[in-house]
Amino acid sequence: MSADGSRVLVALRVPCEPAEAWRRFTDEIDQWWQPNQLFAFSSGGSGTLAFEPGTGGRLTETYDDGTVFVIGVISAWEPPRRLVVSWRQESFPPGCETELHVGFEPVAPGETRVSVTHYGWDRLPDEHAARHGFPLEVLQLRFAEWWRRMIAISFSGPRPS
Amino acid sequence: MSGTAHAGAGRATSSAAPSLQPRAAVDAALAALADPLRRRTVELLVTGPRRAGELAAELGVSAPTMSKHLRVLREGGLVTDTTPPFDTRVRIYQLRTEALSGLRRWLVEAEQAWSDELAAFAAHVASRHER
Repeated sequence: MSADGSRVLVALRVPCEPAEAWRRFTDEIDQWWQPNQLFAFSSGGSGTLAFEPGTGGRLTETYDDGTVFVIGVISAWEPPRRLVVSWRQESFPPGCETELHVGFEPVAPGETRVSVTHYGWDRLPDEHAARHGFPLEVLQLRFAEWWRRMIAISFSGPRPS
Repeated sequence: MSGTAHAGAGRATSSAAPSLQPRAAVDAALAALADPLRRRTVELLVTGPRRAGELAAELGVSAPTMSKHLRVLREGGLVTDTTPPFDTRVRIYQLRTEALSGLRRWLVEAEQAWSDELAAFAAHVASRHER
């Protein structure tokens, strides 16, 4: 597990093939997902999570009263290896989104490494770049690197004066 | 957002909501950083507070130029300035760490939360195997 300053990476191994891990992770997210305070998507309490399979599908949370909160939209759906979904919580300011990457990697027969990478400020809204007149990808890459370095330095303990 | 805990893991982590910066603050900070000299200024300030004069010397620019750029950084919420009691003509600039600390707190909490979620997922996979 590591947090290198601009993203969170957590991984562990599960005792099954990638295809099964994929199915359990996506189809059965309502069975294993634990409500937790940090990932309280909306102020409406905790509900049931579900993926709508396929690129362009949504990750949603449905509450007892039938209302639905859209957590994000799937931008990569590549069973049984990789999925990418945007991730928003109601408490995020408008335009602020994070992005979740989930990987399923075979490490041994009957064993899969499941990794979750949650990107924070690496994924700035496009309009920021447009408004400030930078080529989009260059700006996003540069800022991601730059913030990563600044944050790494700022985490490295007391600063010399 | 209130600090009311949802049911669940019962961890002892902070009750703060995930705190990405408000959009206006991010905009202002980005605008301030859309200049190489200002980014270099922030890079210097990450290692510690400096006087305006020191920054100008290290970056090889005139005092008025430095002062202009520092004003933009201050208005963008990236730096603050103080005046030491012994010399009111001196201004010491310091990086505002709030921009970084909000993200840092979110990262630390998110790492713990994801560890818990993946552990729950692994338990779910294992329980089916035992059946």
